[in-house]
Amino acid sequence: MTRALEVESHDTATAQTAPARTEEGGPAHDSIFSWHELARLDEALTMSSRETGLRFTLYIGDLGKRTRVRAEELHSMSGANPSEAVLIAVSPGQKVVEVVTGAAAARRLPDRACALAVLSMTGSFAAGDLVGGIVNGLRQMSDQAGHPAANRPTY
Amino acid sequence: MNVAETILVFAGVPLAIILLLAALIFLPGGRRRTRYKSGQPWEHAPVWYEPHPEHGPAAGHGNPGHGETKAIGSSLYGEPTGDGHAGSSVHGAHAAAPRPAVPAGPLGGARGTW
Repeated sequence: MTRALEVESHDTATAQTAPARTEEGGPAHDSIFSWHELARLDEALTMSSRETGLRFTLYIGDLGKRTRVRAEELHSMSGANPSEAVLIAVSPGQKVVEVVTGAAAARRLPDRACALAVLSMTGSFAAGDLVGGIVNGLRQMSDQAGHPAANRPTY
Repeated sequence: MNVAETILVFAGVPLAIILLLAALIFLPGGRRRTRYKSGQPWEHAPVWYEPHPEHGPAAGHGNPGHGETKAIGSSLYGEPTGDGHAGSSVHGAHAAAPRPAVPAGPLGGARGTW
């Protein structure tokens, strides 16, 4: 009988293409957030990074006792050029959110703008909306950082 | 249509539908996922999401060590890291190879609690 949804995956790799992600094993990626939430986070991160030219990354997890120190440590590892990186580190267990901006990013995204975004994020977090808060915070920060001329689409 | 038929149609049929739906919803065997809900204690390994690389979603696909997705897996697809252990490093920022910390200058940012 043909099932509507193929759950079993087959060997889809060809000479030119890689196998599907589902065949690579490992933990299910939607064990923490649903696919829908992951897609929202994905779009927010990717679009804000592309529009602004900064590199937004999002860390969710425990930050240890010295949250700021740990967040800055993570920021220094967050890409090839941490100066243009913006790290949003959320520790839901400790109820702390840290935003770390590199030197070049801080020029376009001043601390005051970060604090405003953090305020809107914590408001959503307190209301129980983790993903929505992160998405809104990202939107606020990318709006503040603006679009460099090189990143504007040419029509 | 006598009384018995009327009752059967107007009470029995809706009741049967309700029972069927209730059975589908509440019987075990459905999805049992422990997804994170805000307010619960965080018991998962840390995750680190990063934007997709500029050149389309497949830029780093199946090509570990390419591009700048060396940190931790990309958001939706769990990009493989430079070390080639794709599965384990998606969850677990501590497992990432220690990168040489590039000085990023005076750091800025903000902090908030809720």
